[in-house]
Amino acid sequence: MDKLPGRIAGTFKYFSKLLAGNKKLKVGVAIFTTIIVLAIIEPYVNRLRLGNRSPDEIGLGGSYEPPSPRFPLGTCPWGRDIFGMLLLGTRLTLVIGLLSGIVATAIAVLLGFISAYKGGLIDHALRSFIDAFLVIPTWPIFVIIAAYVKILGLIEISLLLALFSWGGAARIIRAQVLSLKEREFINLAIVSGMRDLEIIFFEILPNFAPYIIISLTNAIMGAIFAETGLRLIGLGPPLLPTLGYLLNLTLSGGFLTIRPYVVAFVSAMLILIFLSLNLINIGLEEEFNPRLKKVTGL
Amino acid sequence: MHPLISYAAKRILTYLLTLFIVVTITFLLFRLIPGDPISSFVGQLQAQGRYAEAEKAQQIIEEYKRMFGLDKDLFSQYILFLKELLRGNLGPSLIGFPRPAQDLIMERLPWTIGLLGISAVIAWALGLVLGCMLGWKRDSAYDKAFTTASLVLSQIPYYLMAVILVLIFTYYLKVLPSGGAYSPKLTPGLYWEFIKSVIEYGTLPALSLIVASGASWLVSSRFLTVTILAEDYLHFAEAKGLKTSRIIKRYILRNALLPQITGLSINLSFMLGGQIVLETIFSYPGIGYLFATAIGLLDYNVINGVLLLIIFTALTANFILDLLYPLIDPRVRYHG
Amino acid sequence: MSEEILRVENLKIYYKSMWGDYRVVDDVCLSVYKGEIFGVAGESGCGKSTLVEGILRLVKPPGYIAGGRIIFEGKDLLGLSEEELRRIRWRKISYVPQGAMNALNPVLRIEEQMIDAIIDHLGYLPKEKGREFAAAALEAVGLPHEVLKMYPHELSGGMRQRVIIATAIALSPSLVVADEPITALDVVTTRTVLETLAMLRDKYGITVVFVSHDMAAHAELVDKLAIMYAGKIVEVGNVNSVFYDPLHPYTRGLIEAIPKLDKKTIKPIPGLAPSPLEWPPGCRFHPRCLFAIERCKKELPELKEVGSGRLVACHLVQG
Repeated sequence: MDKLPGRIAGTFKYFSKLLAGNKKLKVGVAIFTTIIVLAIIEPYVNRLRLGNRSPDEIGLGGSYEPPSPRFPLGTCPWGRDIFGMLLLGTRLTLVIGLLSGIVATAIAVLLGFISAYKGGLIDHALRSFIDAFLVIPTWPIFVIIAAYVKILGLIEISLLLALFSWGGAARIIRAQVLSLKEREFINLAIVSGMRDLEIIFFEILPNFAPYIIISLTNAIMGAIFAETGLRLIGLGPPLLPTLGYLLNLTLSGGFLTIRPYVVAFVSAMLILIFLSLNLINIGLEEEFNPRLKKVTGL
Repeated sequence: MHPLISYAAKRILTYLLTLFIVVTITFLLFRLIPGDPISSFVGQLQAQGRYAEAEKAQQIIEEYKRMFGLDKDLFSQYILFLKELLRGNLGPSLIGFPRPAQDLIMERLPWTIGLLGISAVIAWALGLVLGCMLGWKRDSAYDKAFTTASLVLSQIPYYLMAVILVLIFTYYLKVLPSGGAYSPKLTPGLYWEFIKSVIEYGTLPALSLIVASGASWLVSSRFLTVTILAEDYLHFAEAKGLKTSRIIKRYILRNALLPQITGLSINLSFMLGGQIVLETIFSYPGIGYLFATAIGLLDYNVINGVLLLIIFTALTANFILDLLYPLIDPRVRYHG
Repeated sequence: MSEEILRVENLKIYYKSMWGDYRVVDDVCLSVYKGEIFGVAGESGCGKSTLVEGILRLVKPPGYIAGGRIIFEGKDLLGLSEEELRRIRWRKISYVPQGAMNALNPVLRIEEQMIDAIIDHLGYLPKEKGREFAAAALEAVGLPHEVLKMYPHELSGGMRQRVIIATAIALSPSLVVADEPITALDVVTTRTVLETLAMLRDKYGITVVFVSHDMAAHAELVDKLAIMYAGKIVEVGNVNSVFYDPLHPYTRGLIEAIPKLDKKTIKPIPGLAPSPLEWPPGCRFHPRCLFAIERCKKELPELKEVGSGRLVACHLVQG
């Protein structure tokens, strides 16, 4: 346990070296961090601009107002502030994404671990279950449940999203645990007398950390993807104006003919989120699978 | 041939079992949803002053209740549900009342099959071939440019791609329409004007799918090609002095085919779900748009029908691809 | 007196890297005569495989040919175009690669993989003719023609190796270059492969260049032996004279390192092979040589003839 501070410092150094070495990772983290910062400062920015009112309040401005210093992206037919909603939407989308991502990854790690560790019948059953999950189009089912559930707030939608996106990650985790089981250094650790907890934290987990992070980014992307798609067919929590909600609003609110560039802005924000997460994903995979670097050659 | 037969038998069993479980779960899912959409529908009609329709509706509802045993216990309902399902009867729809749900679905189905089928196949094939060519010409200027472009494009969700394409082609360039499957001025029929219109209206939706998923097929195909190029048997093939065309066809593509086909089966379920959003964006009269509309109206039978159809298609496609696999990969035949 | 079929003159094959050039094959000269089995021996990393790739002109970036000539049947291979090379490959020079286990395309039947080379070189061939060629080649290596219809994963490692050899001789080439053909095989299969290679020379008059780090195999199979160290040839001669009277200290070390039933201890050569990035100055073997003198540390010995057909690059021998 006295090794702990040293270990943490070591991990920190390891990650900074990782970051410095890989261009994709650097760019991805940079973009994503910028977006997160935007999301964090959103409440303050909007308070500065609009006082106590929320950007999605009706009647903030006139109908279809052109861009002005007060409303940099104009207003919607009911007078809502598009720019403010863009910021607010970013924050909400990210929150939902992160929440579902974390829950989904937790489920995936747990089930993947159990499945691979226990083996046998449990493994077989879980594996068939996961495979079926991945083959059957679950998104329509998600839509149905989202449409009919009585209460659909932030927590509910995040949990629902998590429930539908843990499958892919579980497969990866399970495969990794299986391959680790074969490796000898675990046996070596057991033989050399390390305690169970020590083994888990210092031998097993470091091998997992990259896959957990990759699963996390995948889960976040999947959640945002699903939530935005849900919005585009007109469903989803009505009180949570996420980016998808804004996109749907601008698409159907006649913006395409009046001010198409508004749609472009919202799309751009979404694309940046996906792009940055994907870059982080690919960057990490390249680092931990060095073969990939030689092969993608970019 | 025996191991092949046991392989097929196992797959058939899994397929049928999964189908059965899914149908049962769908049944339970719908029976557990609170609310009585039918009464609310009748109420809506009455509120709109359409009393004659409302009365007719009430009659049909009684008929419906009888057919599906809604006044009996859950188990009998289940049996009746299965019975009617096997006869292809889903019950009356609410959207197109009193037309049965299956009619609505069948009407829209060809549009979805056409759009999805054609786009998916083009995207897959194009990605496979282009990716292979780029992989072969690694590190050339072409390769770097196209691959980077594809990497970026593959990360844009297909619906965003659709939005961007609509922005560019419908609103800025004003060359392609973005709603419907054919010009509203024409009536469907087998004549050139109509066919041209179908192609015109189908271009943007198809393009969204092709660009978005084609890009990711290209990236994976290129990766595969580069991996294969590093294999010993490729080295030997070159040492043998084989013609380039033969190496690409029989040594690279042939080996890249296997994982790409596996990828196709996973991708299919994703695309089936994606049709819902895509068709809604373009108001394309397929079953995806039907599904979205039905959800808004709580049209259970239609929702149920489309859901079962989508899942059935995914499972069946998977099943067929599974059966096809030993034909393509000789190693699976004996260990599959 | 047979004629010279392959002559390598001052061949240099380097690999570009961030830190400089890896001089993997550094001024190699060889002479191979028709109808003989010519062995090239040396530790892993001495450049044997790269030499083979060079002869077949299969060197890929970042490797490049930095100089020299490869004269095959009178023509300099380094001066030929891709298309001319493609035509020479397999018809005149063929190749049995290292790791032949994986050299077969897993999704094609043996038949197709043997015949495609024939077709691409001879032009169109009716199916029956192609099968005849292939069956004959298989017979030559002792495999039944049922193998034609099989897939690579259905064959054992040794059988796959022999299929590769059969493919290599299907067009009756003049020269077969075998790169570590027995490395991953068990003892029994090794014997079969060595016998097959010997038969190529005896029955079909094919010249074979046999590259391997297995000295015992060289002793059994080859007619002439060249020892390669650190990118250069250090000794060449008739195999018997090299084994009974090794001149270069490295050769002596290699021979003494062969395990024998009546030897109680094995004497490995001390030290590690040097890096191609920075060859040691003077004689490249001097850091590991028990007999090194001052001159060895400064002056690179030339490969000189010291008797009938015997060449050696060592100051101690040359005097």
